[in-house]
Amino acid sequence: MNLAWKEMKKSNTKFVILGSIVFLISLLTFIISGLANGLSQDNAALIKNLPDGTIYMETAAEETHALSAIDTDTEKQVLMENDGAFAFSIQMGFLLNEQDGQQSVAFATSTGSAEFPDVAKGDIILDRSLEEDGIKQGDIFNNSQLEDEFTVAGFTDGAKYSHAAVAFIHPDDYADMYRTEQMQMLFVPETAQPRTVSGLQSFSTEEFLNTLPSYSAEQLSLSMIVWFLVVISGMLFAIFFYMMNIQKLGLYGILKAIGVKTGALFRMIWTQMLVITAIALILSIAISQLFGRVAPSDMPFHLPVDATLQLTAVFFIIGFFGATLSGLQIRKATPLQAIQQGEESA
Amino acid sequence: MIFTTQDIQKTFKTGEVAEEILKGIDLSLTEGEITALVGASGSGKSTLLTIAAGLQAASGGEIHFDGGELTAMNQEQIRKIRAQSFGFVFQSPHLVPFLTAEEQLLLMLETAGSPLSKKQRREEVDKMLHSVGMAHRKTAYPASLSGGEKQRVAIARAIVHQPKLLFADEPTASLDSTKSHEVMGLLQQLTKTLNIATLMVTHEEDMLAYADRVITMKDGRFA
Ligand SMILES: Nc1ncnc2c1ncn2[C@@H]1O[C@H](COP(=O)(O)OP(=O)(O)OP(=O)(O)O)[C@@H](O)[C@H]1O
Ligand SMILES: [Mg+2]
Repeated sequence: MNLAWKEMKKSNTKFVILGSIVFLISLLTFIISGLANGLSQDNAALIKNLPDGTIYMETAAEETHALSAIDTDTEKQVLMENDGAFAFSIQMGFLLNEQDGQQSVAFATSTGSAEFPDVAKGDIILDRSLEEDGIKQGDIFNNSQLEDEFTVAGFTDGAKYSHAAVAFIHPDDYADMYRTEQMQMLFVPETAQPRTVSGLQSFSTEEFLNTLPSYSAEQLSLSMIVWFLVVISGMLFAIFFYMMNIQKLGLYGILKAIGVKTGALFRMIWTQMLVITAIALILSIAISQLFGRVAPSDMPFHLPVDATLQLTAVFFIIGFFGATLSGLQIRKATPLQAIQQGEESA
Repeated sequence: MIFTTQDIQKTFKTGEVAEEILKGIDLSLTEGEITALVGASGSGKSTLLTIAAGLQAASGGEIHFDGGELTAMNQEQIRKIRAQSFGFVFQSPHLVPFLTAEEQLLLMLETAGSPLSKKQRREEVDKMLHSVGMAHRKTAYPASLSGGEKQRVAIARAIVHQPKLLFADEPTASLDSTKSHEVMGLLQQLTKTLNIATLMVTHEEDMLAYADRVITMKDGRFA
């Protein structure tokens, strides 16, 4: 007999309330996690979109890439030894013109690479978000650090850095603007053997992202909120089933007295937890995905399927633990207690 | 004799003090008979009943049931025997609040591992509810039943799986006089027709008329 289902049908109010709370908490978790992802994308899509690999910068720069300058001989040697490796630099700056005003951008340049678009001298390629802001191909921009002008040659997707649009420029233009022939960083894809290069410090892309001060601060606080919510939902299950079980200890004792297995009682609360969690999560996944669609485009919201599935799994696991933890009382409920309680209460 | 105990002892330790509650009980129960257990409060009636029913362990002595030794079995073996061969009626009905009268009995059949098909189980349950006069309320939940009706459903649940032993600890204590006689008449009739060995604890003189045998307990012994 499906005791779990029978109870949920009979005392549905209790379960609907629990389900609604789990739904609200999981929805909040998904939305915050979408925001965390979106912000991280906004802050470092340029780096996150790189394939797996190793980033090198000068050890003396102490993890600040803006201070790093890689010796040209070292650069040549690393690029020669590793297939697909390239050198690149990123600097914050401005673009200016009459009709578009001042745009804060991240100038990025690289020695020929498949990951960064090829740009001719005097051209720039901008992140797609600027096209949405009204900038068009062929627009001309000035820059205070450069005498020549830039012509917008095109747009590319997913090029954000430090919450600014990336402007890809030719290495020669970069050299003129920042008066250096040296690149800040090297990238070596994972296919090539990563190894130590003297004078250079190596980072995985994830490690590199954590050297960006705003990035780790943002992500830390948001992921803390997400984990708190997950833990709260686990505790909610534990507390809810604890309260219900306390009320039902007598019943459990009687059921045990007539021979119902303890395992059957555990299966009952597990089933209830599973059903509630499943319904609540399906609803909140649907709504958070819908939210992702209709959220305004300048709101950084990005909730990929794998992140959703991961969180869903975590909710199930934590709900299971919460329910089981409170279920431990079932084991303590003895038939004898129940019978004697009956005598006392009457 | 389907059920016998030899020299059952029970000692409760509260801190340093060990209190002897049962001091060597030899009890035997016969099929088709109600054995009533009476005695002063605290004389050890409930303790004896729960030990006999395998709900708590004795401190010494042996219990034999249907060719097996209960006192030598593990928890799971005892649970199985309780589910298949014992029935319980308590002072309060202790029905499952979210099951209908019919479902209470179906749950008992399932717990007992009844070999009957689904359809046969329903028929059996109908028959049993009918014999306790509750057939017309089979889809009712406990909350909508009166005290006497609940206790009748509880009795039906206790015997629907055709147990060999029925344990009843003050089954009429929560009922008024008319209802008590109704319930006792029912227990007597079912004990006879189903050939069950029933052990009943009671405080009510009136109810002894239904018993085939009355045993008085005094200070942990049969008087
Ligand atoms: N778990 C226990 N721990 C300690 N003492 C207990 C325990 N269970 C019962 N006792 C004691 O054993 C004695 C007999 O209790 P029992 O419940 O068997 O009496 P009873 O004859 O059923 O009484 P009543 O008629 O009031 O129901 C009492 O003194 C009681 O306090
Ligand atoms: Mg008693």
